[in-house]
Parts: sequence; structure tokens; C-alpha cells
Amino acid sequence: MSEKIKELLGEEAEVLLAEKRYEVISRILPKVLKGKKPLTRSDLLDKAFLNKYLGIPVFLALWWALFRFTFDVSAPLSDLIDMVFGRLGEIASISIQNEQLASFVADGLIGGLGSVLVFIPPIFFLFFGLAILEDSGYLARAAFVVDRVMYKLGLHGKSFIPMLLGFGCNIPGIMATRTIDKEEDRILTILVNPLMSCSARLPVYVFIGGAVLGGYAAAGVYSMYILGIVLAVLMALLFRRIIPYFKGKPSAFILELPMYAMPTLRSTLAHMWERGVLFLKKAGTIILLATVVIWALSAYPWGAVHSGDEPLIEASYVGFLGHAIEPIFRPLGFDWRATVALFFGFVAKEIVVDTFGVLGLGGAEELQQVFNPVTGLAFMAFTLIYIPCLATIGVIYRETNSWKWTIFTVVYGVVLAYFVAFLIVGIGGMLGY
Amino acid sequence: MIKVALIGNPNVGKSLIFNNLTGGKAHVGNWPGKTVEKKVGKCVYKGVEIEIVDLPGTYSLTANSIDELIARDYIVKEKPDVVVDIVDASNLERNLYLTLQLLELEANVVIALNKFDVAEDLGYEINVSELSKLLGVPVVPTVATTQGGMEKLKETVARAAKEKSRRRIIEISYGKKIDELIAKIERILQKDENLTKIYPARWLAIKVLEADDEVLKIIEKSPCVQEIVNLLPEM
Repeated sequence: MSEKIKELLGEEAEVLLAEKRYEVISRILPKVLKGKKPLTRSDLLDKAFLNKYLGIPVFLALWWALFRFTFDVSAPLSDLIDMVFGRLGEIASISIQNEQLASFVADGLIGGLGSVLVFIPPIFFLFFGLAILEDSGYLARAAFVVDRVMYKLGLHGKSFIPMLLGFGCNIPGIMATRTIDKEEDRILTILVNPLMSCSARLPVYVFIGGAVLGGYAAAGVYSMYILGIVLAVLMALLFRRIIPYFKGKPSAFILELPMYAMPTLRSTLAHMWERGVLFLKKAGTIILLATVVIWALSAYPWGAVHSGDEPLIEASYVGFLGHAIEPIFRPLGFDWRATVALFFGFVAKEIVVDTFGVLGLGGAEELQQVFNPVTGLAFMAFTLIYIPCLATIGVIYRETNSWKWTIFTVVYGVVLAYFVAFLIVGIGGMLGY
Repeated sequence: MIKVALIGNPNVGKSLIFNNLTGGKAHVGNWPGKTVEKKVGKCVYKGVEIEIVDLPGTYSLTANSIDELIARDYIVKEKPDVVVDIVDASNLERNLYLTLQLLELEANVVIALNKFDVAEDLGYEINVSELSKLLGVPVVPTVATTQGGMEKLKETVARAAKEKSRRRIIEISYGKKIDELIAKIERILQKDENLTKIYPARWLAIKVLEADDEVLKIIEKSPCVQEIVNLLPEM
């Protein structure tokens, strides 16, 4: 019976009654309230940051500034780390007598894990910049501004906060959806959260973009973040349209904006460390483990791989694996090595970089043999969109408590990734690449 | 003993007022079956003991969140003698939304107009007696940070408790069409004494129109539910 009442009324009545209450308030207020609130500095800033037309451009500009900052400041430090690992690799391959151990240390540990550790500076600087935006009170405004657009498009109001967290890591982002009251809104937000570009993808963008996009590297990386947001919105809209479970309007909510404040160096550094240290832990555990596995698969059968002067990785198990799945990715212009990197990358996206490192493609020149600017960009987009990492899949299952939604997320991710990458390659092809 | 509940939007200074009134001594537990904290304290005004329950901070009283449900269930079922609605004087528009919902619940409301100093600093001039007249409830300006208005608040609460049965219940108009529909549903609901013993009929009627999950569950069991369903297609 109550289902029937709900059907008859829809959500219209609730919104209408709420509007009427505000009408009553707006009739009371002029009778009891005199004087106009003077503009505080916070209000003045909000006039610009929350402006109907300026809000989004300001958000995009600040986000761009964040990326330029991340890149320009971290580049020399990354180069330095890269140089140190390069020298260490040379020393290892000369001084370690046992051939297999030397290969493991030089190609596996230093080539693979080292190529991931090079990204400590950009990741820490990204978190440093994010912490400044957060502590100053801007990030909540960004949520408000993007939310306003999302709400108009029919997405739930509280969605954007989990989305913002997703930029750090999708796992806390997905956990934060617990604040959303309606189960349909919550699941929808979980489904699109992996499209928010988490910090694990940053190394891939910087690695590939830096090697093949030349002067447009920063723009390429930035575009991945924007692409993620746009796709998340589009997918949510699409799912709401075509999946009956999500039909209906999202519920409105009140978002309290904190006052602007000058961020202190101490809390900014603390925030940066808190998140950055997770990357270090990941490097020491799962990425290290993956390195061992990938190195072993790329170095054996030893006799076949190491018969000539140069190791022939194509003859290894990895080569076999890569060639087996490569045909699927041929239309996207990804060769067997890129395919293998994506294959291992589902464990954690940093492992994509790790794999290239182990396969001896750690430098820009080597990567340019694998990708041209268009396939490189397509590869970045594919990395952004396809299967969320293993840990995220686990959290999606736990939070939705449903294999159906978990498998759905994985499947739509792969299909969408393929589609977008194909589109990029197609458009690039028309432009003459 | 007078039973008082404190309610208000988040960040209006509710905890501070609770501490001011109770002297900071509180019994802290959980709401039955929930993981939401429940604070209960006491104070004495002119020999009369006042028990104060701190309800969760909410913007509204829908069935959409645990906090809001706890607050409204307490008011409906425990029927405290007085509900002190703490309103941020520097942000009346947003805060009065909760006030209107409390009036709809037919709670015996006393408004504590807190942060009165902040509102004045911002250049607002609030006509307290007019506000009181329009809403039909006592309004006490307070400044919780300096304990301002606390004695006056206790006095007003004690008086409101004594005059509880004589209070005027004001109706919020939703416009002619909706008001008529609410009245029709209300008349149907009034036939079921089991319901009206606990819940204000008009409030139930409004919540039915809002398709409030909890209220629909309550109505479901009533014999008059079919009559309401038959009425709705008129809309």
C-alpha cells in the first residue's frame, strides 16, 4: 500500500512542500529582520568562486595551476632520482656475479620498482597542493560548484565529496558514499567513483605523457583528470536513464561551507604526508611483489631469453602472454608490451609503469618506439578508465554487497576504456597520425 | 520535573547551551539501538528540577537520516514538556526551516535565538517580539559563549511547561489546494484513534503527502489506508 502511495505522489510533493515552507519563511523574515549583512572577506571570495558563470572556469583554472605546480616543481627531483637509479642499475649489473641475481636487481628491482619510485615527488607535490586547496576552504567550494551542475543533470548532491576524495584514492571515496541516504544514489555514486583519477594513475600519465607528448605533457595529464570527471557525469546520467533501479530524482541536501582560512604549513605538510605515505607503503608491498612476479615471467625460460647478447624478452612467458592477448588491442595501436602492462596493471595502476620498467622501456626514447602521441594518449585514457585496481574492486563489493554491481563496474569500465581509446586513436588517425 | 529537549541545526552552539544549562554534568549514553550519542543533564530553576536531553543536530525532520529520525521520534513519542529550538540569529532563513517543522509536530517550542551578538555585529536588527508573535512561541535572545540569556531561558522554559496546555498551535499554510488535501487526509486519519493518540493528525497528513517512509509504514497498518490511497489520484 505504501508503495502505491509513493508511486502516486513521486518526489514532487516533498519538494513542493519544502518550497512552501521556505515561502512562509520568506514572508516572516522581512517583518522581523532589518539591516543587511555586510560583506565579509569570505563572502567576497565566494562571490567570485561560487559565481554561476565564473565558478566552473575558476575551478578548472585552479586545477590546472595545481598540475603545473605538481609538474614543474617535481620534475628536477624526479630526474635526480631517475639518475640515481640509472647509476645503481649499472653498478648492479657489473658488480653482481650471478647472472640471474644481477638481472633481478638491475631489471626487476631498479628498472621496475625504481621507475615507480621516481614518482614520489609528483605524488607528494600533488597532495601538497590538494592539502592547500582543502585547508583554505576552496575544495568544499569546488564540490559545491561542480555539484550544482551535477544536480541539474540529475545526480545526487552529496556525490561530489566522495568524488573529490576519489582524486586521492578511490577507496576512501567509495567509503565516503555512506553519507548518501538513498541506496540507489549511493550505488550510482560508487559505480562511477573509479572514473575519478586517483593518484596511482598519475605515474602512468606522467611516465607516458612525459615521454611521448613533449611540450603538451602537462596538458595531457590535466586532460585525463577532466576526462575522468566528464565521463563520471555522463555515465551516471546514462545509468540513471537506462537502468530501472536508478530511475527517479536525487534528493537535495544542504552543504555547509567552511570559512576561508590561511592554510598553515604544518597542517598542509601533515595532510601531504598522511596520504603520500600510503604510496610508499604500496611500493614496499604490493608493487614490490608484482615486480618479482613480472621480472620472473620476463626473465624465464632463462635459456630462451638470454641466448644472445641482448635479452630477448619476447621469448619469455611475458612475451607469450603479451602475444596471446595483443590481437584484442591491435585496433588501439597497443603492442604486446603495452598489453602486458595493462594486464598486470589491474592489480594496482602503478604496476603499469613498473611493467614497462622491467621490460626495459623505462626511458623516453624506448617508450617512443612503443607509442606515438595519439596511441600514448589513448593508452593514458585506457589506464584511467579500465578496471579499477584490485583493492578498489574489493571495496566496491563490500560496500554494494553485490557481485552483480561489482562485476558490472569492471565490465563497463573495460568496455568504456576500449571505446574511448578507440575514439582517440580514430580521431588522431583522421588528423594524420 | 520538567522534561526538556534541545534541538537545532549543526553549529548553532547547542552543546554550549547544554553545558551552560547543566553545568557541564551529563549522563552520556547511546540512543537505544543506535550508535548516536545521547546526552542527558539536569538543572534546577526555582526549586523545579529540569531534565535536559540533547537531540542530534539536524537541518530537518525527514526520515532520511538516523539523526533526524531520532530527534523526531523522541519529540513525538516521549512528548517532552518543552522543546528548546536553538536558532542561529545570524542565519535565520536556514534555521527557521527546522522551527517550522517543530511547530508542525505540535511540540511546545521555545526558541533560543543564539549568537545574538554575532547577528548584531553583522548589522542585523531582529525584532524579537514580532518573531515571537508570528510563530506563536516564546523567543529568548542568547549568547551561549558568554552565558548571556541563560537565566531568562530557564525562566521561559519553566513558564512554557506550566502553560503547555494553553498554547496556541499555529498552522503553516501550504497554499489553498494543498491545505484542502491535507485537511481531507487529516479527517480520515482522525478516525483511527490508535494513531492520533500518539501522532498529531495534521503532521501525519503532511508526511503522507511527502511520502515519508516511516510515516507510510505507520499508516500501512491503519484501517484507513485504503481511503487515503483512493483520495490521492485526485491530485
